Amino acid sequence: MSTIVEARRPGAYAWLKLIEAEAKMVIRDTAGLIVPLGMPLLILVMQGISIEDAGQEVAEGVTVLSAYVVPIIVTMVISMTAVINMPSFLATYRKTKLLRRLAVTPASPAMVLIAQMVVSLVQILLGVAVALTAAFLFFEANLPQAPWAALATLGVCCAAMYGVGMIVASIAPTPNSSVAIGLVAFFGMAALGGMFGGTQNLPETLEQIGSWLPFGAAVEAFQSAWLGESVDLQNWLVPIGWALLGGGVAAALFRWE
Amino acid sequence: MIAGLRKPTEGTVRILGLDPFTDRAQVRQLLGVQLQQAYLHGSLTARELVNLYRSFYPHPLEAEQALEMVELSEKANTRFDDLSGGQMQRLSIALALIGRPQVVILDELTTGLDPKARRRIWATIESLAEQTVILVSHAMDEVERLCDRVALIDAGRIIAQGTPAQLRQQAGVETLVDAFVGLTGREWDHDEEDD
Repeated sequence: MSTIVEARRPGAYAWLKLIEAEAKMVIRDTAGLIVPLGMPLLILVMQGISIEDAGQEVAEGVTVLSAYVVPIIVTMVISMTAVINMPSFLATYRKTKLLRRLAVTPASPAMVLIAQMVVSLVQILLGVAVALTAAFLFFEANLPQAPWAALATLGVCCAAMYGVGMIVASIAPTPNSSVAIGLVAFFGMAALGGMFGGTQNLPETLEQIGSWLPFGAAVEAFQSAWLGESVDLQNWLVPIGWALLGGGVAAALFRWE
Repeated sequence: MIAGLRKPTEGTVRILGLDPFTDRAQVRQLLGVQLQQAYLHGSLTARELVNLYRSFYPHPLEAEQALEMVELSEKANTRFDDLSGGQMQRLSIALALIGRPQVVILDELTTGLDPKARRRIWATIESLAEQTVILVSHAMDEVERLCDRVALIDAGRIIAQGTPAQLRQQAGVETLVDAFVGLTGREWDHDEEDD
């Protein structure tokens, strides 16, 4: 005879406690916050100081720094958090069998994944806010001319970078390899997406490849939003495609233990 | 398999009459598990971890009660990373019991612990009155002290079961280690792993 008990999934309180736990893990790992929050800020300051005509307007109410540097900085914050930081947490949890431990409770390991994504999103918003505040205060940056397009770009860019992050978490066998693969993925995408200079300076093939990667597409979309221009369709489709690809790869390859 | 982490290649598993795979959600509420190797959120304190795991269950123990039960009240504000091996194990037991389970699986409970830590954990297990405890262990002294019924498993098969006294009697020896050797026909190896 079987025991009668109502099948009950953890409720909103459990979700909140798990998000709180993930947030504490991230906050208490202070060194881990330096890369996604500190490095984009550093690059912003370096660019702001080194570009002579950073304050010059390229369109009405839009400075050079706003149109060409801020989009890269925002994309950096998103991609560093989603592609380097988040997968390393998941790889560590898998390595230490924390996900296996949760699998024998009413909570699902998938809850950790989602809680980690929520915390990463908060990190991203914080990083973007810090970078934009510095850009406004010290370099006379402007708000995007098309704010809704900028917000939508932020959303699809986050989805795309989470997709890439999930691919990293799926193929990395250890926490160290997760960081290594994440760094290679980040710098590869960033180099082809304009972080080290205009993509027009790249060989044509590399420029083409970069335009089909989420970093380059996001930077171009943010640039369009800041300039008040309509975002090219390809720059919507590329990040959405990477988000779907990442989800598919994760569904097929991600191991909980 | 009982915890639903590994599917059986043949046969069936039922716990309290429920299938660990098809009745997963129900089984998770009735079962408490302490895994042989499992890490927790290292930066969280013992109290934070207990509160986190409490939130997964409908009628959990109070956090202070759970910590007191495994004598960790004084370490409530210590991060998991800073606990000793024995304290980590005791916290794992508290988390296995936090949801007031009907059945508790404790896997290699005291492996690698010093004698003092082992005795404290044994005392905790002996104090459990409301649960059925399934203890997986290679430590025959531990089995002899804690278990009412024993199933000796060799190469994935149960080769004998009964009370410790019955097994000793069946093998015609005085200790469970000797009973294992006698019933399996091979020497005792403390390091062997057998899932």
